[in-house]
Amino acid sequence: METIDGESFGEKYDLFVCLQCGKCTGSCPLSMRSQLSPRKHVREALLFDNEVVLDKEFLWDCTTCATCRLRCPRDLQPVEVIIGMRSILIEEAKVPATVQEALESTFKNGNPWGRAPSKRDEWAAELSLKSASEGAEYLYYVGCTPAYDPRVQNVAKSLVRVFKAAGVDFAILGNEEKCCGNEIRRMGEVGLFEMLMEDNVEIFENYGVERIVTSSPHCYNVFKNEYEGLKAEVFHYTQLLCEKLDNGLLKLTKELKKKVIYQDPCFLGKQNKIFEEPRKLISSIPGVELLEYDREKERSVCCEGGGGRMWAEATATGERTAETRVKEAVALGAEIIAVACPFCMLTFEDAVKMTGYEGKIEVKDISELLVEAIE
Amino acid sequence: MAEVFVLVEHRRGELRDITFEMLSGCRDLAKNLNASITAVLLGKNIDNFVEQLKSWADKILVVEDDKLENFNAEAYQRVLSHLIKERKPILTLIGHTSFGMDLAPALAAELGIPLATDCIGFELQDGRLVAIRQMYGGKVNARISFKTAPYMATIRSAAFKAEEPGLSAEVEKAPSPLTEEITTKRFLEYVEAAVGEVDITQAERIVAVGRGVGDYSDEKVRSIIEELANELGAVIACSRPIVDKGWLPKDRQVGTSGKTVKPKLYLALGISGAFQHVAGMSASETIVAVNKDPKAPIFTVADYGIVDDLFKVVPVLTEKVREAKGGS
Repeated sequence: METIDGESFGEKYDLFVCLQCGKCTGSCPLSMRSQLSPRKHVREALLFDNEVVLDKEFLWDCTTCATCRLRCPRDLQPVEVIIGMRSILIEEAKVPATVQEALESTFKNGNPWGRAPSKRDEWAAELSLKSASEGAEYLYYVGCTPAYDPRVQNVAKSLVRVFKAAGVDFAILGNEEKCCGNEIRRMGEVGLFEMLMEDNVEIFENYGVERIVTSSPHCYNVFKNEYEGLKAEVFHYTQLLCEKLDNGLLKLTKELKKKVIYQDPCFLGKQNKIFEEPRKLISSIPGVELLEYDREKERSVCCEGGGGRMWAEATATGERTAETRVKEAVALGAEIIAVACPFCMLTFEDAVKMTGYEGKIEVKDISELLVEAIE
Repeated sequence: MAEVFVLVEHRRGELRDITFEMLSGCRDLAKNLNASITAVLLGKNIDNFVEQLKSWADKILVVEDDKLENFNAEAYQRVLSHLIKERKPILTLIGHTSFGMDLAPALAAELGIPLATDCIGFELQDGRLVAIRQMYGGKVNARISFKTAPYMATIRSAAFKAEEPGLSAEVEKAPSPLTEEITTKRFLEYVEAAVGEVDITQAERIVAVGRGVGDYSDEKVRSIIEELANELGAVIACSRPIVDKGWLPKDRQVGTSGKTVKPKLYLALGISGAFQHVAGMSASETIVAVNKDPKAPIFTVADYGIVDDLFKVVPVLTEKVREAKGGS
């Protein structure tokens, strides 16, 4: 089978060394609820022709959490094989309509949410923030979901307050900001991703950006690991704020008597090994008791919001992983599920509604907890 | 006297509404063009159609042929191009339906006649025909002028009201020009859309339910909502949780991972209004929201909002709609 750039799948992803041990499928959070099976797809990619990809709607079930990559004893990348197969589906125009709309909107508006680029900075209208042209130590890259989603806008607003309290010198791009492309690449739209990457690198260069701090682990991941030609240093906000906490610049003084459990975002934890900073921030809030899931850190379970799943329901049936996680959190006695990713925020809030635990447990971003502790 | 041709559309023994809408909608235009209206009826065993059409046109031109028993764009094209060449109508109207969309472009191209599609109105400017059609998803009306007569146009369904003019048509039977077999297209069968399949993107009115309805699998809950939808002539759609619970099929889901709708009326019942849902319905003309929580984000996009238990509100709404419609 050929990938879209001409190499066979086996060559491109070095699949010949696969043992077929099945750890990838065993660790996949979707394989129990979908026909998605990384092990099988790797095998098929080696054995068969192009037709093997066609009509596999379940390929859109993958959240690209990359647990398969983490567990592979041969260091293979089953998740990339699935993304590569999606690229073929994109070329063949066999794409769910909702994914197509998200991609089209990203091309036209610079965000997958179908919103006007001119409204990107509306959330910050009354905050009088520095714009990138004025220069600052950090560029705060807000991201599409915190910029447009009214619920997640509160995360951006909270972060701004905490940044200010900790004396972080930062600026934003405002309406010049564009999608980072992390989800776009994972939906298989390589061309659009490369375009976004080039545009963004150029914007960062123009403003002489040296340090970028992101709200979302997804933006962080793509800047940190996948952008070519990006010279700036990249931080997730939990890293930056943890540093400010250690330096004594971020002072958490107000008490919050709550039991808080933390959901590791896949793109922060599993994929970038940032486990301690978010935990340290939460447990440094006076009065907070930090609880842990049984499956935490590298064993954490994806919320099902990544890899384009915000725009595709695909084929998976049964209980969503976020619902399972909410139930586990309630059983452990947690009152707040702390998240550090916009997609976790949205999938978990839905899950709280679905499980009927509204009023019993809340979903809050770490930035929102920090705001309560500084004011 | 000049003639306006209106192609009669029928399917499985029934005349389609579009036929009457076109016959009635082109009356003023025909008068201004100083033309008479001819209903062109193609088919087999169609005497009952002739009777039904008599009061709607000045003339009915009938072509009967076994090959015209079911709609076949190729057969229709051959007969119509023959009739148009022979009789030179100043204007030919065809429904903008799946039949018409199959037929009109090829017919216009064959005859070299300018064609305006999906028209919703007509005007005459300095004796020349101007068609009105919509652009940008209905946001603007465009006036399309034709260079020269004769003209051809396809007409959007329900763009005109069907009002019977009470005429008495002369009936003329013309011989069928179909001498050769139709070979490139063959009628096979009619395939019915599966029962219960509804395209919510085409609906004019939508009653949408969210998690706030509680257990939608409960007969009582369902019937309260369905009653209102029936009275409103609305289709039922929902937010994602309802699909997750398996209470409604996936094709009813509105939002970024479902469908985008823009009906004239969107009635949101027990929907909190997460951004991902709102993105799929905010373009609706009028949004009415019912929710217990006054802080629910749905109220930021709603034109009208009711803060109350939807099970108290919905029966009253149903009653009021019934009253407004003049029922008991």
